[in-house]
Amino acid sequence: MKPTIKPKPTKLRQSEKTAATLIDCDVHNYPISNAALAPFLPRRWNAFIKQIGFTGPADTPYKGGYPFNARRDATAPGGKRPGDDPAFARTQLLDAWNIRYAILNSLYGVPHIQNLDFANALMRAINDWNAAVWLDADPRWRGSILVNENDPAASAAEIRRVARDGRFVQVLLFARSFTPYGNRQFTPIFETASEVGLPVGIHFGGGLRMPVTACGWPSYYIEHHTAMTQAFETQVISLVCEGVFVRFPNLRVVLMEGGFAWLPALMWRLDKNYMGLHHEVPWLKKLPSEYIREHFRVTTQPIEEPPDPRHLLSIIEMIGNDDFLMFATDYPHWDFDSPDRVFPSIMPEALKQRIFTINATLCYDFERK
Amino acid sequence: MTSNESDIGDIGTFPEGTPRRVEVNGKTLLVVRKGAEFYAMRDACPHMGASLSGGCVVGIPVQARPGDQVDYVCEGEIVTCPWHGWSFDLKSGRSLIKPDRLRVRTYPVTVVNDRVLVAAG
Repeated sequence: MKPTIKPKPTKLRQSEKTAATLIDCDVHNYPISNAALAPFLPRRWNAFIKQIGFTGPADTPYKGGYPFNARRDATAPGGKRPGDDPAFARTQLLDAWNIRYAILNSLYGVPHIQNLDFANALMRAINDWNAAVWLDADPRWRGSILVNENDPAASAAEIRRVARDGRFVQVLLFARSFTPYGNRQFTPIFETASEVGLPVGIHFGGGLRMPVTACGWPSYYIEHHTAMTQAFETQVISLVCEGVFVRFPNLRVVLMEGGFAWLPALMWRLDKNYMGLHHEVPWLKKLPSEYIREHFRVTTQPIEEPPDPRHLLSIIEMIGNDDFLMFATDYPHWDFDSPDRVFPSIMPEALKQRIFTINATLCYDFERK
Repeated sequence: MTSNESDIGDIGTFPEGTPRRVEVNGKTLLVVRKGAEFYAMRDACPHMGASLSGGCVVGIPVQARPGDQVDYVCEGEIVTCPWHGWSFDLKSGRSLIKPDRLRVRTYPVTVVNDRVLVAAG
């Protein structure tokens, strides 16, 4: 059903020059019910869902005052939940902001399901649903291949299966894993992503099997949300120190929705420790920060907003690569970053162009066959 | 013995692989023996100034990937700082991790008639 209410497009400060090439690296879509996934599940699992009354994977215990953690204007006419109506999302996001490509990250919690066969069936169903319901709906959508960290072998097979569809441009993992991703048990995921030439995106979320912070369970959503950087830091340290980029020198990893202001401090601390502890990780051939700059990319949302905007530019300068950041809105979530307001006015135009467009085209192959 | 060389002791007083601190012409040096070879460098880490003679003499572990066999090269030619573990090549004085940016001054050592001579001006 087409939406009857069209959101008012916001005029871009950069006018058509920027708008025509804007790339959004983090957008979310969700199947509203089991019925939406039923066409993509084998008979066995549809029967299982009916028999056990399955209503979806376990949800986060942290609720932040926003239904579905979404913008209040992102509920489609007719009441579909935010992120469940391709036509409305097209109007409210792609058309409103004249976006060239937008990457859909379907955050369905398959790692929260202990039954591996069921979880893997849902993993495959989500990817097929994404292709049929969303990617077919508009040529500007691109997809991420959802995988199941609890079953790296099945995830590798899923990457090979889905990567045949060139509209999928990366592999998708959750930031809060049960073990850091550099651990060798995850090798099949990174090996296969490297083989098929796709970046691995690590996105905000996950973690219901483990305490969500390094000190256990906080009380409030604001704590959970802010402390998510701990998980990202752990993954960066682990992937570098465990030699994943030594094994797979072409591998790229994209950190999504974790911010980036913490990165300079992490790089300094890790490099300093490497000076005295390099004997422990002799496979590394250069400073950890050099692996980070070469192999990682980060999406901007939710961008840090220091009181003095010059400090944001200082952070970017400290990271040291102008191809490091890629723009993302996080639509339809409540902490959406608006393309016309996200960057301070003092940011150089050339850097904005890199972040809005160029860096994503260097990281992703949007016209993959 | 040339004019800038100092006799720092009999060869037998330098156990292999154990750093020894010596004073020469007002300079504090670290001397390490590896077989018939001797190395001398300034006894101060460029990082925080710790005495390198309190550190360990080691080799460089070589391991292509986690889980692979570990081999060692340059055994007995590397000194690690006793404080933060920064490593220096005893032959060149260069840092293992930042060889172009960090270096400890080294001094030539010779052995004449079982006497160890260091040229530390």
